[in-house]
Amino acid sequence: MAHRVDNEYDYLFKIVLIGDSGVGKSNILSRFTRNEFFLESKSTIGVEFATRTLQIDGKTIKAQIWDTAGQERYRAITSAYYRGAVGALLVYDITKRQTFDNVQRWLRELRDHADANIVVMMIGNKSDLNHLRSVPEEDGQAFSEKEGLSFLETSALEAINVEKAFQTVLSEIHQIVSKKALAAQESASTNGRSMQGTTINVAEAPTNTKGSCCSS
Amino acid sequence: MDKKKAVDDIEPGPAPSRSVDKFGFIKPEQGSSPDGISKSRSIHEREREERRIRKWRKMIGVGGSDWKHYVRRNPHVVKRRIRKGIPDCLRGLVWQLLSGSRDLLLMNPGVYETLVIYETSASELEIIRDISRTFPSHIFFQKRHGPGQRSLYNVLKAYSVYDRDVGYVQGMGFLAGLLLLYMSEEDAFWLLVALLKGAVHAPMEGLYQAGLPLVQQYLCQFEKLVIEQMPKLGQHFIDEMINPSMYASQWFITVFSYSFPFHLTLRVWDVFLCEGIKVVFQVGLALLRFCHDELVKLPFEKLLHAFRNFPEEATDPDVLLPLAFTFKVSNRLVELEKEYQKKMEGSNASTSTKRSQPLKSKTFSRIGSRAFASSTNSEK
Repeated sequence: MAHRVDNEYDYLFKIVLIGDSGVGKSNILSRFTRNEFFLESKSTIGVEFATRTLQIDGKTIKAQIWDTAGQERYRAITSAYYRGAVGALLVYDITKRQTFDNVQRWLRELRDHADANIVVMMIGNKSDLNHLRSVPEEDGQAFSEKEGLSFLETSALEAINVEKAFQTVLSEIHQIVSKKALAAQESASTNGRSMQGTTINVAEAPTNTKGSCCSS
Repeated sequence: MDKKKAVDDIEPGPAPSRSVDKFGFIKPEQGSSPDGISKSRSIHEREREERRIRKWRKMIGVGGSDWKHYVRRNPHVVKRRIRKGIPDCLRGLVWQLLSGSRDLLLMNPGVYETLVIYETSASELEIIRDISRTFPSHIFFQKRHGPGQRSLYNVLKAYSVYDRDVGYVQGMGFLAGLLLLYMSEEDAFWLLVALLKGAVHAPMEGLYQAGLPLVQQYLCQFEKLVIEQMPKLGQHFIDEMINPSMYASQWFITVFSYSFPFHLTLRVWDVFLCEGIKVVFQVGLALLRFCHDELVKLPFEKLLHAFRNFPEEATDPDVLLPLAFTFKVSNRLVELEKEYQKKMEGSNASTSTKRSQPLKSKTFSRIGSRAFASSTNSEK
């Protein structure tokens, strides 16, 4: 395991930000981790990384977030980063119908490359541009219910719901992990093993096995 | 998007009050950040610069007429001078001469215009979406629908039609944008063609083809070079589970034009156009070597931060480039490429259903004459 649990945090969760290009993933990340927003931001090439530590349900949780290039062709690189992720924020732009229609494809992408029990939250970003809206909030709501995802509309520009989105997803992960830890503890106590591994295997940095060359 | 428009409307025309550096980038608020070359240059320095430009003019001849001759007779002189930096006022011309794009342009009159005006591209919306996200802090590309943004769009659209397999891929905009600061649209287009199709050096289109095969190859080669050249750091990266796709993909995809100080980008491009992609490896290694003692101490997250925030001393071209040239990588790169391709062939054979990643043959570089052919058989 790359990162042991130390005093700084109780849990380390790896999260990926995915969704079509231009929906605002990088600004959601910078809003959450540095409380910054850039109107004139460059398109993301490859992957970017940031972290933030916060308190959730009385625990100190560190979110290790990978922001990925949205263009389809980049999935050759970015899909390697899904592995080991315990949460995903799947972002679309409420002013661009196409980005919402593509959510289905992103879910398929996650099914193919991510862990089966990854927690996915769907985000309709740019809610500040309500007058240009082309995806009604109800559509997002209905879709997320059908797919069993959490859902929020956010505005990275106006700092609306960004914090809440991350908190929701992290809290959901935390609940799952605690349950697992509990179960592990119970079985461990019968095995006489000590209960140490509260990070489960969520702290893995993305490995470069599949697709990349230098692994075999 | 609308917010942005609002900002534009407030802008007082073409000359915003914010000041720009010598390359046209809008300076950050503090205004004190150096743009690589100090403001008050001594008379002595200026004279030296003028002598240098005279030497270069002589080497090039009028409109490039003496260039080929000079290069053939004195290749080492040319190489040495380029490594010291091409004078900014001659850069655009020399880049075209170095890349072979001049010849392409002459061989294909009218082609660019046809691509821009008469063809439609499946990538148009994708290109438009990224136009304002390419060098957003450069004055030439700032104005919505201004000449900079329009030429950037035209070049990228033309290329996406010219090679519909590649189409448009994020990152290409930074190449095109950089070129447009030094030459006309048509010249920039042909230089892009020269690079991607391989007029002089190995073709780079694999950086942008489906599966990004060349990115994967370069990252693999780079990882091996790091281990060989800096074993301690290489081992540290392995221990910390750092792999080069986390930091170096954009170095290769945009040839250092994405996030480095512009004066460094230019100097890298001078050498890149002359000597080829190996300089990206060399500069990458030099950055790591320069910060080696610091990097070996950093844990995972701090490493990732460090990769995006190299200290100013490290990005000084007069320090970094000489260090870069100490890495002799040409032969090793060839070997590593062979190794890589062998491995890929092996894995492709074992999983035959995997998407085909054509390992492009080097002979693909004869492009001049079929330049237009590839654009007319449009599938749309």
